[in-house]
Amino acid sequence: MDFKIMPKSALPDWVKKLTILYRVVAPVPKHGQIVFDEITDPSTLTMLYPQSVLPPKKYLFPQHEVMLNYKLDGSWFEANIESEPTVVLGIHTCDLHAVKLFDRIFSQGYADQHYQARRDDIFLVSIECLTPCTDESFCRSMGTLSATSVFDLHLIDLGEDYAIEIGSDRGESLLNGFKNVFNATSTDEERVNDRLKDKWAEFPYRLDFDVTELSGLLAENFSSEYWDELGEICLACGQCTQVCPTCYCFDITDERSLTGEIGQRTRTWDSCQIDMFAEVAGGHNFRKSRAARQRHRFMRKGKYQMDAYGLVGCVGCGRCAEACLVGITPVKTFNAIHKRQLEKEEA
Amino acid sequence: METPVAVKPKIAFFDFTSCEGCQLTVVDSLADHIELLSVVEIVQFREAMSERGEDYQIAFIEGSCTRPSDEPRLKAIREQADIVVALGACAHLGGINSIRNRQPLQDVRAYVYGEEAELFETYPARPISAVIDVDVSIPGCPINPREFVQTVKMLLQGRQPEPPDYPLCIECKSLENVCVYLRGKTCLGPITRAGCDAICPAYGDGCEGCRGIISNPNYEAMKAVLDWHGLDMAEVEAKTTMFLTYQTMNMDEKKENGHGH
Repeated sequence: MDFKIMPKSALPDWVKKLTILYRVVAPVPKHGQIVFDEITDPSTLTMLYPQSVLPPKKYLFPQHEVMLNYKLDGSWFEANIESEPTVVLGIHTCDLHAVKLFDRIFSQGYADQHYQARRDDIFLVSIECLTPCTDESFCRSMGTLSATSVFDLHLIDLGEDYAIEIGSDRGESLLNGFKNVFNATSTDEERVNDRLKDKWAEFPYRLDFDVTELSGLLAENFSSEYWDELGEICLACGQCTQVCPTCYCFDITDERSLTGEIGQRTRTWDSCQIDMFAEVAGGHNFRKSRAARQRHRFMRKGKYQMDAYGLVGCVGCGRCAEACLVGITPVKTFNAIHKRQLEKEEA
Repeated sequence: METPVAVKPKIAFFDFTSCEGCQLTVVDSLADHIELLSVVEIVQFREAMSERGEDYQIAFIEGSCTRPSDEPRLKAIREQADIVVALGACAHLGGINSIRNRQPLQDVRAYVYGEEAELFETYPARPISAVIDVDVSIPGCPINPREFVQTVKMLLQGRQPEPPDYPLCIECKSLENVCVYLRGKTCLGPITRAGCDAICPAYGDGCEGCRGIISNPNYEAMKAVLDWHGLDMAEVEAKTTMFLTYQTMNMDEKKENGHGH
C-alpha cells in the first residue's frame, strides 16, 4: 500500500490550498443535517459525519442538467457540457462503490458525455469509515465497508494523523507542494493495519444471508406476496430513489423560448416509484401498482444491476431507510424475502 | 416574402370566490416578464385595468364556484373562450372555500352573515371544472409565478401544459430540505403535487396540499402516517381539508360506495 501521512492539524491548510485551485465540495452541517456543499472556509468541513441527505452523486449527475441548446429550425444545436475541476472531499466508501457502478452504467453502450466530462474533472477524496454512520447503514453486509479502487486519495483517521492512500496520479497531484505530508514509516503502516483490523467488529452484518445469494433469492421471489404488502403501505413518495446513490433514472423535457426560435433540453432526476413513471404512449402503464414499483426498485438494487453490470445495485448506505416514512427498508425487505424462502423450502 | 404578423391572442382574467391573490401574482409575473405583454393583448383584467373587452380567446379564471349565479357566468366564459385556464387552488380544487362543505350550510351562512344570512345565496364550493370543461390548471395558493409564465408560453406555442403529477417529496428531497416529519411536524408532501419548489417545507412548515392531490395517491397510508405522528382523527381531517375538502370528500364517498358493492 502506497500512502502518506498528514497531521490532522494540517488538514485545514491543505483544504484551503485546494479551494484556491479547485471547487471543493465536502460534507457540511445544514439545519442539523449533513449535506455535500461547496466550501471556501475549511472550518465548516466535518470529516466524521452521519450519512449526507443526498449522496455526492449530485456532482456527477445533478438534479437538473441542461443537455442541449438548439434552434427549432434545425440550423444550430450544441451539447451543453458543464463541468469544472472539483474535489469531493470526505466521500464514504459506500458512495465510492456507487460511483464505480455509475462509471460502468454511463460508459457502456452509448457513453454519456455529460457524465463523462464531470467524471474526468472530479477528484474523489474518500474517508475510511471506522464506526457505523447511522442505525440504518448496512455497508458490511453489502461489501462496501472498504474500497480498493475508484478513489484518487483515501484518508484513514489515525487519531492525530491521517494516513492518505494514493489511488491515482491525479490524486497524488493534490498533495504536490504541500509540505505537511510525509512518507509513511513502517510504524505508520502498523498503525494503519491496526486501525483497519479493529474497525470491522464495530459493523454488524445486518443481512441474514450472504450478499452473493441476493440476486438468486430475488429471482426466485419475483411473485412473492411480500411485494403486495409493500404496495399497501408505500406512499409512493419517491424519497427512497431521490436519496439513493445508485439511482440514475431521469426525465427529459424541452423548453422553447417565448417566440419559439430557441429550445433547451433538460434532464431531471426521475423516480420509478411515481405513478406515471412507466406510462407509455397510448396511456398504458406497465407498472401501475405500487407493489410492482417497489418490486422493481428492489429487483434493480439486488438483481438487475448485477446482471447488467456485475455489481450489486445497493451499497448499503441506509439513506432510503432513513428517509422512508412508513419504514420500508432494504434490510427488512431482503431479510423478509429470505425468511419466507426458508419457510417455503422447509414446507 | 414578408413574414405575416401574427395576431396577438386576446386574453381575459375573471374572478369568482377567491382572495384575488393569484391575479396579484399574475401582475407581479408580468412585471418581471414584460415580454409576455408584447405577444398577447389583455382585454379584461378587473384587478389591473378598467377597460373591458369580450372578444377573448384565452380565459384565466380565479376562484371557486360557490353559488348558483356563478354557473351562468362560468358557462358564458366557456362559450366565448377557446381555452379556459383555472388559476390557483380555488378554481382548480375548490380550495379553502370548500372547507365549509363539511358543515351544514345553514350554520355556515349564519356564522358568516348573521341575521342577514337568508339574503345571501350560497351552496357547497366546487372547482370550476365541476361546472365547465377546463383545459389547463395552474395549481397553488397562490400560483407560482414561474409556472404561470411557463403555462402562458406553452399555450401561445400551441402546447398542452401539464402541471407536475408527482409528489412534493421528490422535489423537496432533491433540495435537501429537512423532512418536516423530522421537525416533529406533519406534511402532505407524499401525496401533493410538486411544482412549488417545496417552499413551505423549505421554511420548516408542512405542506398543506394547496397544489392538489397526485393521481393515485396512497391516501390511506398518508392518513396512517399522520396518525403515527400524533394527529387524532379530527386533526387528520383538518390537515387533509385545508385545501382538499372537495377532493377528499369525493374520495371518501367513492370508498364508501366501493365497500357497498
